[in-house]
Amino acid sequence: MKMSTEIKFNIYNPVITYEHRAAYEMVLSQRHQIFPICNQGKCKALEMTDDPQKQKQINDLMEKVEYISDSLITITKVFFDQMYRAKESSAQSIAHSIAKITIDMVERNLLERTCDVRWWALEKSFWECVEVSNLTKSNSEKKLSNALETLVSIGCSRLEDIRSSYTLYRDLVLVDLNGDVIATANTSRREKLLEFNVSEEIWFKKALKTNDGTEYFAQDFCESKLENNGSLIYSTAIRAKGNEKGEAIGVLGVLFDFQGECQIVLNDALPKDTNGEMLDGWFSFFTNNQGKVICSSDQDFIPSGLVPPIPRSHRTLRNKGDFKFSTAVFCGINCLIVSHKSEGFDNYEGFGWSSHLVLPVTSMFERHKENKDFGITPKELMNSHLIPEVNRHTFQDIQRNTDKGDIQLISINGIVLATDLGKAGKSFMPIFDQITKTGSSTTGKMELLLAEMSSDMLNQALKALVNLSKQAIELIDRNLFERAADVRWWSSDFIFCTALKNNETENYDVVCNRLAVIKSTYSMYRDLVIADFNGRIVANSKLENRDKLKGISVSDQSWFRQGIQITKSTQFGVQDVCNSDLETEKNSLIYSGGILENGQRVGKALGVLGIFFDWEALAHPILDGCIPRIDNNVVEGGASFFTNTDHLVIASTDEENFTTGHQVNIPIANLNLKEGESSAGIFSINGKKYIIGSTKTKGYREYRGLEWTAHVVRLID
Amino acid sequence: MLYSLFRVDKTLMAVPITIILEIVRPSKFYSISGAPEVIDGLINFRGKVVTVINTGLAFGGNKVLTTEESRVYIFKNNSELTVTDGMELDNEMSPDNIGLHVDYIENVINIEIDELQAVPVNMAHPFYKFVVRKGDDFIIILRPAEIINLNQR
Repeated sequence: MKMSTEIKFNIYNPVITYEHRAAYEMVLSQRHQIFPICNQGKCKALEMTDDPQKQKQINDLMEKVEYISDSLITITKVFFDQMYRAKESSAQSIAHSIAKITIDMVERNLLERTCDVRWWALEKSFWECVEVSNLTKSNSEKKLSNALETLVSIGCSRLEDIRSSYTLYRDLVLVDLNGDVIATANTSRREKLLEFNVSEEIWFKKALKTNDGTEYFAQDFCESKLENNGSLIYSTAIRAKGNEKGEAIGVLGVLFDFQGECQIVLNDALPKDTNGEMLDGWFSFFTNNQGKVICSSDQDFIPSGLVPPIPRSHRTLRNKGDFKFSTAVFCGINCLIVSHKSEGFDNYEGFGWSSHLVLPVTSMFERHKENKDFGITPKELMNSHLIPEVNRHTFQDIQRNTDKGDIQLISINGIVLATDLGKAGKSFMPIFDQITKTGSSTTGKMELLLAEMSSDMLNQALKALVNLSKQAIELIDRNLFERAADVRWWSSDFIFCTALKNNETENYDVVCNRLAVIKSTYSMYRDLVIADFNGRIVANSKLENRDKLKGISVSDQSWFRQGIQITKSTQFGVQDVCNSDLETEKNSLIYSGGILENGQRVGKALGVLGIFFDWEALAHPILDGCIPRIDNNVVEGGASFFTNTDHLVIASTDEENFTTGHQVNIPIANLNLKEGESSAGIFSINGKKYIIGSTKTKGYREYRGLEWTAHVVRLID
Repeated sequence: MLYSLFRVDKTLMAVPITIILEIVRPSKFYSISGAPEVIDGLINFRGKVVTVINTGLAFGGNKVLTTEESRVYIFKNNSELTVTDGMELDNEMSPDNIGLHVDYIENVINIEIDELQAVPVNMAHPFYKFVVRKGDDFIIILRPAEIINLNQR
């Protein structure tokens, strides 16, 4: 983080807290008191003795006192200055990471959407429906329109299935070549939308122009006929016979619940008071590449479409990953404004949106309210890695200069000298008394300030770790939510229930092919298997494993037992991370969905679809991204890991100290958290002292999470 | 008369200000091979060679280690001892300057002659001269001459 060159410590700077001003005034006034006393001492020395050596000794002592109190005032200024800078820079870095993660969360979500829409467009009932609808436009045969009616009702019901599996969509619409809406997912608005013509809308036109099934179009936040509020629409062409290379015969458009999703993300980014109410003066919002607000945490104050009242440079960030800090007046308060332009995610480019976080400047310098005792001394902290090096030097300077011992030594040695002067020396006593008193009250004050500083820095460091752990668990939850959605939707595939019903080998070959197609599109799965009602595997996606798996009984495995009891298409099962003998890889995470009779939404399960998620490929990048960093370099001893309900590590970036499959010795408070709760603490492992921030899953939307907890640690010394 | 207080473990002890030359922070001790363990070593104090005794070991306790808070008393030698009034102690020092390494020094207090009490018989000790009660604290006043000769025991 770049430090501003402006000197923060200026007694007139409004951000300086009252306590600090008072402390500074006190140090200053003590210094004013000590000078006349020292002068008096020097005069007394001349008066009391004629021995030039004694005179010099006393003079030296007085000068030492003057020097100490002089350097004290300089160091106090430097100390305050650095303290404010340190607080500012750590607050900025936390604010920046919040701004970055909010837009990241949304971008990751949007990436998933692009996979979805392409996959769904291949659905048989959709292309059949569009095909017949196109035909009826040129041919008004009765027979055709009857057929269309049936197909439309099937199409609608499949769209509904998607929407109930993936709850992120407000609606999904099928459009024929003329631009007429022929099927929708949202039953409450269906009547109004059917026969709507969207041929003028960009998402429709662009989708028709896509070259093959791998392409899609995403329309940035805009107005659409289909809805009243702004929409974010993903679209792709429906192709003849569901062939990826076929001719475009219609369009599938999905309306993402952008506002709902952003509200969750934006509100999560802001701190809450103890009652869970948002704090005043804090705002978060996104702007599009024209610098206009597309969603905000306070829709009344910063409505969508508005050009937000932030400096121009914040609205016109040019390159991916650019960020900017400014202080400006926002909502009548002097605020820190942090803006971060989206970096996209993987190959996904994104829309070039920016994320902004606004917080009151005073909040950066507030004292931490809760003063939890972590069992670590201020001195230990001050000399630890948690404190930036430049600050550490100052602290050592202060410790050297304000060492009570120095003043004490001067004072006692003064008394020794004075005693040697006999009776005459007695008049020195009050002078040395005063020096001792002033000295110890000043150094006492400095000690308090040092303790305050160290505890603030500790709290900031812990806050950063907690934020990272929150980010880690949220990213995991969001991703696992998608997996739960996938398994529910795939289980409803007609091919599966037909094959299970007929129970014939050639049918299972078709099933295997279908599973293989899914696996090739969704590379995050290691394997997909289908087990029949008795728990025997009848099909899988991975050719290499097919012979080995065929006929194996999985009836005693948790994922199967959960899956076979499913009676509604909205339910799913999941088996926590464990080693499974069904695949060679370690640490399997298996989701299961019930394949219900006749593809109904409620009914008896004929078999179970189990999907083996390559969860390590997901967890490791997420954990890596959540290791504490300073200026993009991982801090010494920084690590992150997940634990499950048994407190076992299930994935870790530091296998040496936090080994997968083992329990770790972290504070019990960090293991026994409630849903969505966070905690911070200090612990020792292998003779090393760490600070830790942990957050337990709170799930995401209707996905409840697997009771996992994310931990992020950092070495202290 | 003024006394400088210090602690050895938990015990509060005192020496008269009049016998102190100066109090310094422990610097480098030059070890002397063959010397008793109770001697920390030699230090150079304004050109004088001073033998430093470790009070902890001298009183049979834990060794005083060089820390931020530990200090070395440098006592006057016989010739530096000036006779001032109110000398109620048999102020005989050694011919050399001797240092005393202590854990921690406290403040300076004034103790009147009538406050000095004889050491109770059950806690008699060759180095103890008087006991003084100040509030809740007991302060043991050391025999300067004896301490100086600690190294000869």
